[in-house]
Amino acid sequence: MTTATLTLKSPRVRGRHLSGLLTWRGLTGLALVGAVALAGLLAPLLTDTDPNAQGPLALAGPSADHPFGTDDLGRDLYSRVLHGIGTDLTLILTAVPIGALLGCSAALLAATSRWADLAVQRAFDLLLAFPGLILGLAVTAVLGPGRWPVVIVIALAEIPGFGRQLRAGILVQREREYALAARVGGSSPARVLLRHVLPNAVDPLVVQTAVALSLGVFIEGAMSFLGLGVRPPEPTLGSILSQSVAYLTTDPAFAAAPLAATTALVLGFTLIAEALNRGIRR
Amino acid sequence: MRTFLLKRLPSALLVLLLASFAVFLILRLIPGDPATSLAGPDASPETVAAIRSQLGLDQPLFSQYAGWLGRLLSGDIGPSYAIGGQVADLIGDGLGATTQLTLGALLLVVLIALPLAVVGATTRSRPVAAVVQAVTTGVLAVPPFVTGVLLVLVFAVSLGLLPAGGHESLLREPDLAVQYLAMPAVCLALPSAAVLARYLKDGIERALAEDYVRTATALGVSRRRIVWRHALPNALPSAITVLGLQVGQLIAGAVLVERIFAWPGLGQLIEQGVIRRDYPVVQDLLLLVVAVYVTVQLLTDLAYTWLDPRIRWE
Repeated sequence: MTTATLTLKSPRVRGRHLSGLLTWRGLTGLALVGAVALAGLLAPLLTDTDPNAQGPLALAGPSADHPFGTDDLGRDLYSRVLHGIGTDLTLILTAVPIGALLGCSAALLAATSRWADLAVQRAFDLLLAFPGLILGLAVTAVLGPGRWPVVIVIALAEIPGFGRQLRAGILVQREREYALAARVGGSSPARVLLRHVLPNAVDPLVVQTAVALSLGVFIEGAMSFLGLGVRPPEPTLGSILSQSVAYLTTDPAFAAAPLAATTALVLGFTLIAEALNRGIRR
Repeated sequence: MRTFLLKRLPSALLVLLLASFAVFLILRLIPGDPATSLAGPDASPETVAAIRSQLGLDQPLFSQYAGWLGRLLSGDIGPSYAIGGQVADLIGDGLGATTQLTLGALLLVVLIALPLAVVGATTRSRPVAAVVQAVTTGVLAVPPFVTGVLLVLVFAVSLGLLPAGGHESLLREPDLAVQYLAMPAVCLALPSAAVLARYLKDGIERALAEDYVRTATALGVSRRRIVWRHALPNALPSAITVLGLQVGQLIAGAVLVERIFAWPGLGQLIEQGVIRRDYPVVQDLLLLVVAVYVTVQLLTDLAYTWLDPRIRWE
C-alpha cells in the first residue's frame, strides 16, 4: 500500500498517464473516440444536407445520395448521425465539467470541518439514492424535456463520483508528512489544502473524467430514448436510435449507424479510463 | 445487531426523510398550477379554486408535506391527477411486472458474474483470461438501450425465437412468461453483471495471493476447494456491496428496458407520470424507488457484517 501511494505521487505521474494511454487499450480507445468526435466536429464539412430536411424517400436503404439511408420522415441519416454526434458531444462536454466542478467544490468544502464533511456526505448519499435515469425523470418532471434538463441531469449524476474520489484523495494526502510539514511551517489550513494537498489528490480524477464522459453518452441516450431528451427535430444519437426501434422488424439498417456511433463512443471512453487506471497503478 | 441498527438506521432514515422532502419540494417548483391544468382551459376561477382546495393545494407548504407523509404512512395514497384511478392501484398493477423483471435480472447478474469471475481469476490460460477481460469490458461499455436493440434484432427479428416485447403473468402461463422475460432480463442484467464480475474477480485474485491459500495448498487441499471454500467467501463481502449499489442501477435501468420491450411495469408508469405531469404518481414512485434503494443498502450492510464477522459496529 505504501509503495502504491508513493508511486502515485511521484513527479512522473503525468508520464504514467501517458504510458497508460500508449498501450493497445488506450490507443484503441483514443482512436474510437477520436474518429467519432472528428466526424461530429466536421459534420458541416462532411455533409451539406440539412439534418432536419424531410425528403420524399422514407426508410430508403443506403445509396449514393444517402450513404446511411433515410429515416421514417425521409431525412438523410448520414447527416443526422453526424450532427447527432455533435449535439451529444456539446451536451456532454458542457455537463461533465460542471458536474466535476461542483463535486470537487463539495469535496473541498467537506475538508474544512467535521460538520461540513457529514453534510456533504449525506448530500452525496441523497444524490446517489436517485440512480441515473430516476434523477433524469425527476428533473424532467420539473423542467420538461429539452437540452438543459439533459445537461443538468448529467452534471448532477457526475457530482458524487468526482466528489467522493477527491474527498478520499484529500483524506489520504493530508495525513502525509509534507502536509504536516506545511502545517508546522505555519501555512494556513486553506493554503495547505489548496496549495499542497489538492494538487496531489487530483490524479484519480483523470480516470474519473473518462468514466464520466462515457456515463454522459449513456444518460443522453437513455433520456432521448424515453422522449425526455433534446426536443425533436434536433438529432442526437439517442433520439435517432429510439426512432429506429419502431422499424427494427422491417428496416434494421435504420438502427445500424446510431448503434455503431454510440457503442464506439462509450467503448472508447471506457477503454481510455481503463488504460489510464492501469497506467497509474503500474 | 443492536449496535448495527443504532448506527445505520438513523442515517438511512435521514436520507429517506431528506429524499422525501427533496421530492416534495422539487415537484412544487414546477411552473404552473396543477389545479389550473386539471380544470382545463375554460374553467371558471371558482372551479379552479374548488379543485385546488380538494387537492389540498391551498394549504401551507409544510402542512401539505406533512399531510402527504401521513397519507403514505396510513396507506391511503389518494387519486392520480392525469392518468386516472387511485395511485395505489396504479402502483399495484405495475409492481408485479417490475418485481419480476428486476428480480429476474438480479438472479441473472449473479449467475453470469460468478462463473466469469471464478474462471477469470483462476485460469492459467492467457486466451481464456483475455476473453473474460474482453467480455466484461465490452459488455460494460454497451448501454442497455443498445443491447436491447441488438437482442431484438438477433433473437426476435432474425431468428424469430423470442417475442420482441410484451408481458405474461408468471402464474398464469409460466412457459410464455419466461419467453417474454428472457430478453428484458438479460438486457437489464448484463451491465451490472459485468461490473460485479470485475469486482469479484479482483477479490478472488487478491484472496488467492494470501498466505492462508499458500498454507492450504501446502497442506494438499485441492485447487477447487481452495477457490470455492477459501478464496470466494473472502471475496464475497465487497462483492455484496457492489451488488447492492447495482440494485439502484437495475431499478433505473428497468425504466429503459420496460420501454424497449413494452413491459407494463412501474417504469412505464413513472414515464407516463412525468410526460403527463401527474405529480402524485411521480412523487410517490420517486419516493418508492428511494425507499427500496435505502432498504437495499441497509440489507447490504447487514449481509456484510454477517459474511465478515471481523466487522463490528461499535
